[in-house]
Amino acid sequence: MKKWLIRSLGLVACLLGFLGVMLPNHTAQAAEKTYQIGTDVTYPPFEFANDQNKYVGIDIDIMNAVAKEEGFKVNIKPLGFNAAVQALEASQIDGVIAGMTITPARQAKFDFGTPYYKTGVVMAVKKDSNIKGFSQLKGKKVALKTGTAAATYANSIKDKYGFQTVTFDDSNNMYEDVTTGNSVACFEDQPVMQYGVAQGLDLKIVTKPANNGNYGFAVQKGKNKALLAKFNAGFKKIKANGTYDKIVQKYLGTSSASSTASTKKNPKVADKTFTIGTDVTFPPFEFANDQNQYVGIDIDLLNAIAENQGFKVDVKPLGFNAAVQALDSGQIDGVIAGMSITDERKAKFDFSSPYFQSGVVMAVAKDSKVTKLNQLKGKKVAVKTGTAGADYANSIKAKYGFKTVTFDDSNNMYQDVETGNSVACFEDSPVMRYGIQQGTKLKIVTGPAEKGDYGFAVKKGVNADLLAAFNTGLANLKANGQYDKITAKYLGKDEQSAAAKAKPAATQDTENRSFVGLIKQNKGALWDGFKETIWLTIVSIFFATIFGIVVGLLGAAPSKFGKGVSSTLIYIFRGMPLLVLALFIYTGIPSLTGSKIPAFIAGVVTLTLNEGAYTAAFVKGGIEAVDSGQMEAARSLGLPYGKSMRKVILPQGIRIMIPSFINQFIITLKDTSILSIIGLLELTQTGKIIIARNLEGFKVWTIVAFIYLAIITLLTWLSNWVQRRMDA
Amino acid sequence: MTSKIKVQDLKKNYGENHVLKGIDLDVQNNEVVVIIGPSGSGKSTLLRCLNRLEAPSSGSIVVDDVDISDPKADINKVRQNIGMVFQHFNLFNNLSVSENITLAPMELKGETKEQAQTQAKKLLETVGLADKFDAKVQSLSGGQQQRVAIARALAMNPDVMLFDEPTSALDPEMVGDVLGVMKDLAKQGMTMVVVTHEMGFAKEVADRVIFVDDGKILEQGKPDAIFSNPQNPRLQDFLNKVLNV
Repeated sequence: MKKWLIRSLGLVACLLGFLGVMLPNHTAQAAEKTYQIGTDVTYPPFEFANDQNKYVGIDIDIMNAVAKEEGFKVNIKPLGFNAAVQALEASQIDGVIAGMTITPARQAKFDFGTPYYKTGVVMAVKKDSNIKGFSQLKGKKVALKTGTAAATYANSIKDKYGFQTVTFDDSNNMYEDVTTGNSVACFEDQPVMQYGVAQGLDLKIVTKPANNGNYGFAVQKGKNKALLAKFNAGFKKIKANGTYDKIVQKYLGTSSASSTASTKKNPKVADKTFTIGTDVTFPPFEFANDQNQYVGIDIDLLNAIAENQGFKVDVKPLGFNAAVQALDSGQIDGVIAGMSITDERKAKFDFSSPYFQSGVVMAVAKDSKVTKLNQLKGKKVAVKTGTAGADYANSIKAKYGFKTVTFDDSNNMYQDVETGNSVACFEDSPVMRYGIQQGTKLKIVTGPAEKGDYGFAVKKGVNADLLAAFNTGLANLKANGQYDKITAKYLGKDEQSAAAKAKPAATQDTENRSFVGLIKQNKGALWDGFKETIWLTIVSIFFATIFGIVVGLLGAAPSKFGKGVSSTLIYIFRGMPLLVLALFIYTGIPSLTGSKIPAFIAGVVTLTLNEGAYTAAFVKGGIEAVDSGQMEAARSLGLPYGKSMRKVILPQGIRIMIPSFINQFIITLKDTSILSIIGLLELTQTGKIIIARNLEGFKVWTIVAFIYLAIITLLTWLSNWVQRRMDA
Repeated sequence: MTSKIKVQDLKKNYGENHVLKGIDLDVQNNEVVVIIGPSGSGKSTLLRCLNRLEAPSSGSIVVDDVDISDPKADINKVRQNIGMVFQHFNLFNNLSVSENITLAPMELKGETKEQAQTQAKKLLETVGLADKFDAKVQSLSGGQQQRVAIARALAMNPDVMLFDEPTSALDPEMVGDVLGVMKDLAKQGMTMVVVTHEMGFAKEVADRVIFVDDGKILEQGKPDAIFSNPQNPRLQDFLNKVLNV
């Protein structure tokens, strides 16, 4: 019995030793050359993942520019604001740049670099809210983000104005709380809030910046003076050489309003409102985004021109044919709907200067062998009513001997080709290109034919002022680069794509927001998150099972000492919330021991201890559930305790434990999601980051949930298979 | 005749509950000792102390010159020479009949599987269950299970066999088979200590009958003396109840 006890204790010691040996080695290598810099997960425009899942933002760019200037390397880790600050305090990382306001409280703990950005706290409310000032907050709830200067500010005034606060871990959740109406307002740093509103948040800023302060780069107090000096020197240089301004401008820009403010309004149309018809769905020229706001090249162009010329527009997505008819009948003032300028149309409408050049291309299903018009003989071809593509198709259909099927919108037309009902479709090249880019399973097989121009149309002889204003505005936009920006925003690949790159990716509405689109777009990130989750699960289950069996056996052993050790371990690690345990191990242990723990190892240790404690409890219970006569009979034969346990008790106990094991494996898998708190890029954290970029909370969480369910299904099958084998 | 088991002033208590209050007992080689007594008298506890399934509170138990009440004694070694049969058989549920019998010889004596199985076959023949070699434990009747349990205990070639109410959990028609096996064992000269309510068995097979009540041995002697001429009033009372049902 004692031998067995000693052996199992030895095993525990080995396990701990093994972990202990792994830690310092692991970190020493990484820390040698490169500075580890922590940042927030999502704090646009200071830091956020773009659609390639690369971290960008003012903070990131400044840090990289400074590092380049001063010749050192940085590894920027998006840990989340609180985790980053705690990691810095625990010396897990060398510095933090996370839109962190320099406050006396923080200065007590950290040394700050030269202030790199000036900011102030503003309050934002829902767009349709009538709250304008703090005095209206009485008795209401206000959303805050933990650890921000804005939160501190709000807390400092909450008694005075009598409001309550709700705290969130990231900005999106905070915004959402306000848009859903749970909270009436939120407080945030002005640039962040402004950026968020510009990105389409349903919020508005209602107060002037208060509590002005500065953002600073922080290192641990008294340590890393060298890094701080390098940062300050580098920062001075990038300020002097204009890099800093470029970076800030890249993200905050000079908004279109201010850049065009100097252009005089066109007095003839100033402050008039024109009703403009457009198509329902003709991406990239017009389509509803997921907030059901109409966007697209036509819409953006029209809005920019209207702003430039000082008139207002009321855009109505009537559908192409309806819009043309409405214009013809004088119900609306103009049509902008990716309409090609044709002689026939010129007879009825006056067209603006061409604002986009297009041509008709033929597209076929991806796996189709059709590449030429003469292969269409006897086949069906899909077209959309009233488009240049339809005209072209009809003009050649007799020659090539194909039939046409007509659809009312592009999606149905594409679908008809994808499903094989039609072999090809004809469409304007930008539309086709955009559709394919968004995941339509078609390919373009011909060069553009019937090259033509898109124009803005008004009824012949009517609204000449509007037409002139449109032309002037268009010329202005082309001159100041806004036109290129708009087209690049939707078509991307153009030669002017430099403009697109300069814009933060989060502003691109070209992302396909369907489930398939979201999966396609983020498959790399999701796959990495999936792998990290699986890896964490497997390693954790392995160690937790060993730990649990050892502790469980110890608890079932006829030794008071063993029982005591076992129940203490179970008591502590089963009793501690997983989240607390993870943070304690990741940030607490380094503070105690002085050596860092990589997040992955901290995560595995956390799960090993917590899940292992649960495992130990049911292992102990399983052993105790075996009839005590079995052990007596084995011992009466002279079998030692260990052998009796192994040959007689455990084989019976394990049968009892198996359902609990399966349960525990599933729980372990799910609990890996909690490790996102220490910045592990597993599935949940990946989801958070993707949502931070595209705000598609519902869809992305649905995808993430399905991935978890898929893994759990596999795990359950595997477990059932094992169980059947055991029972056989 | 030499002492196989020598018990001196054995006491056993669970907290305030004194189960054995000073037992002295000698068991000679080849002797069959039957312990009788009412329920809760301590007779099972006494038996279980003999292979230290219960640790004595005080007193000494010497088996083959080894004092097993000494915690340093190699109890596993001593137990190899003391077979035990339980009221509820306690066959290993995860093993087949033959595996139940071969486990200990293979694990403890280093016998090969063939050796152990050859012996298991012989033992099963002697208990009349040769055809159950590969059977699952759960498929056997109680009487069959108990005979397998006896074969299992005999597989280690013990010098002493302890029986703890081996027929109490059996249907009446099964009792005879088990007692038959035990009688054969006694005839072969096995040293046996049997706790039982089977007075017929005691009369026929026992060399000595011991009456235990309230944690003490109140009377002992040849079966004739005990059954035909009991001295102690409690024994008289007990026999009266058991024999005149």
